[in-house]
Amino acid sequence: MFANRREMIALMTAAGGMAGLPGPARAEPGDPVFEAFEAARPEQPWTLGYADAPAAGLDGVAQRLTGRLPEGLEGVLYRNGPGRFSRENWRYRHWFDGDGLVQSWHLEAGEAPVHAARFVETRKWRREEAAGRFLVPAFGSAPPDEEGLSGPDGMNAANTSVMMLDGDLLALWEGGSAWQLDPDTLQSDGPRVWGDGLAGLPFSAHPKVDPDGTVWNFGQDAARNALVLWQIAPDGSLRRADMVGDVPGGMIHDFAVTERSLVFLVGNLRFERMRLPYLESFRWDGSRPMRAIAIDKADWSQRRTWDLPPGFLFHVGGAWERTDGTICLDAAMSGDARFAIGGAYDVMRGVAREETVSQARLHRLVLYPGGRSEQSVFDDGYAEFPQVDMRLTGLERRYTWHVGWQPGQIQGPTDIVRRDLVSGATQRFSHDADVIVEEPLFVPAGPAEGEGWLVHTALNTRAAATELHVLDARNVGDGPVASWRLPYACPLGFHGCWRPA
Amino acid sequence: MILPAFILSAVLSSAMADGTASITVTVDGIEIGSGHLVVGLYDSAEGWDGETAIDGRRVAVTGDVAEIEFGPLPAGRYGIKMYHDVDDDGQLDTNLMGIPSEPFAFSNNAMGRFGPAAWPDASFAVDAGENAHAMSFR
Repeated sequence: MFANRREMIALMTAAGGMAGLPGPARAEPGDPVFEAFEAARPEQPWTLGYADAPAAGLDGVAQRLTGRLPEGLEGVLYRNGPGRFSRENWRYRHWFDGDGLVQSWHLEAGEAPVHAARFVETRKWRREEAAGRFLVPAFGSAPPDEEGLSGPDGMNAANTSVMMLDGDLLALWEGGSAWQLDPDTLQSDGPRVWGDGLAGLPFSAHPKVDPDGTVWNFGQDAARNALVLWQIAPDGSLRRADMVGDVPGGMIHDFAVTERSLVFLVGNLRFERMRLPYLESFRWDGSRPMRAIAIDKADWSQRRTWDLPPGFLFHVGGAWERTDGTICLDAAMSGDARFAIGGAYDVMRGVAREETVSQARLHRLVLYPGGRSEQSVFDDGYAEFPQVDMRLTGLERRYTWHVGWQPGQIQGPTDIVRRDLVSGATQRFSHDADVIVEEPLFVPAGPAEGEGWLVHTALNTRAAATELHVLDARNVGDGPVASWRLPYACPLGFHGCWRPA
Repeated sequence: MILPAFILSAVLSSAMADGTASITVTVDGIEIGSGHLVVGLYDSAEGWDGETAIDGRRVAVTGDVAEIEFGPLPAGRYGIKMYHDVDDDGQLDTNLMGIPSEPFAFSNNAMGRFGPAAWPDASFAVDAGENAHAMSFR
């Protein structure tokens, strides 16, 4: 990462002198990152996915391209992702810094999908919107004249995912509070406080829901090698929250649950010492193994651990546990963290490039009792945003759906893929090369695993518009059964959830 | 944190000869209209880091703004730490990770880096005579 970061600084310096580097000086006219991005836009249509959305949000109706809304697929698709990257002609350095833009797609039989997008009105958003400039250090950026931070929630961008919990819509981030929104209007209420002594604690963007409705989540305190673990009842009330120590401070974005265990993979982007922007607290350390930790759901003091080859991941597909305690798991893993600490900076300057070892591929892990493990990779393309039939969370299953792309596709994923974890076989649908696909969310229809629909958005960079596609999750290769297109483009998002009608 | 008044007056009598100073602290951005503001005044980096305030106030919250007087004091450099004891339990509440869950602020509206603001950022010059200092919760 050092080479990459140096390279970035060197480029920024060459482009506009030192004025744009994070530091105490106010941005002079000509922030090099802002200018590089603006200069790239006419030639690089993919940059639309990283451009600012209007502060007031977006409202529109999608026009039908093909097909019909399948019978029974009625409800709302919510999605979240970074949507505001620049203020006062100064642009964030890292993609993950952008303020959360929550989108809703209302799907109703016989009607065109109605789309809305609103920024999550975090304290950060309200204060910066009023000031007209960025005020606080973000995850990966230090804006000019930033004020410092009173705590992690001070930079909460609420930009990573969404979940429905007993009728409430929560916008999720990794390092702070979940933010409550009105599911109908997308108006923000404020941070969710789960109980006494729990205000402002991190509630990650990847909660897992057991088949009985129990919600599990975690938050990381990387500086102290600790996690906070959350167990929430289906009605949204707290069952338990507590700290668990001795979890190495490798950045943890996602986890898995089995019937018995909470499973964490601690990659090799390790916390070194506290720096702001926060991402710079982490350094790649390939000298140690990746650590897998399975914590007993019933007794958080009980754990099993495994040492794995060094690596990095954002997302886990799912996991299950055999009667002998063996844990099977799939995850989108890469050999290093150069997307998180390289590529996600590059896109903010309007630069896309491919670092083969840094792209994630779907891996299978088997963690045996006693510390032995096996790992294999599906080596037929890149994979991200793995999704499962969520009715089988924590249970043995066969399929993972994900976005896919091939070496050479520097602008990102074009494919929707269904992976058979047992045979390794895939079904794959490739959109046009101008289309950047986003997370395919599984919506159940029939009782069997995978019997349902995949709903996914995509940015059509040629049409400069965001699209919505529905595929039969059992016949992904056939392509969309229905597609619509908005009259505008939305920034690329991360994760979504489905609220049935 | 609050020194007995007679010690203060003894300390300050020597400073009177050099001219005395006072500070009027105005506070805004109080979000919850109940509880107390707990305010500590510091006159050195050592005192700031070691949590030894030279004076303190506990002021009932009656609205979204407040005013606090300190003095007479010798002219010099001072810093202020303040929190809003919303639930009136006499302490700055923290969550499981030790992060404050009640509003707090430092003079100069200095912010910390995942911790208290540092003395060089939070301290300010107090001249002989009346001094005004504005602070804000945010």
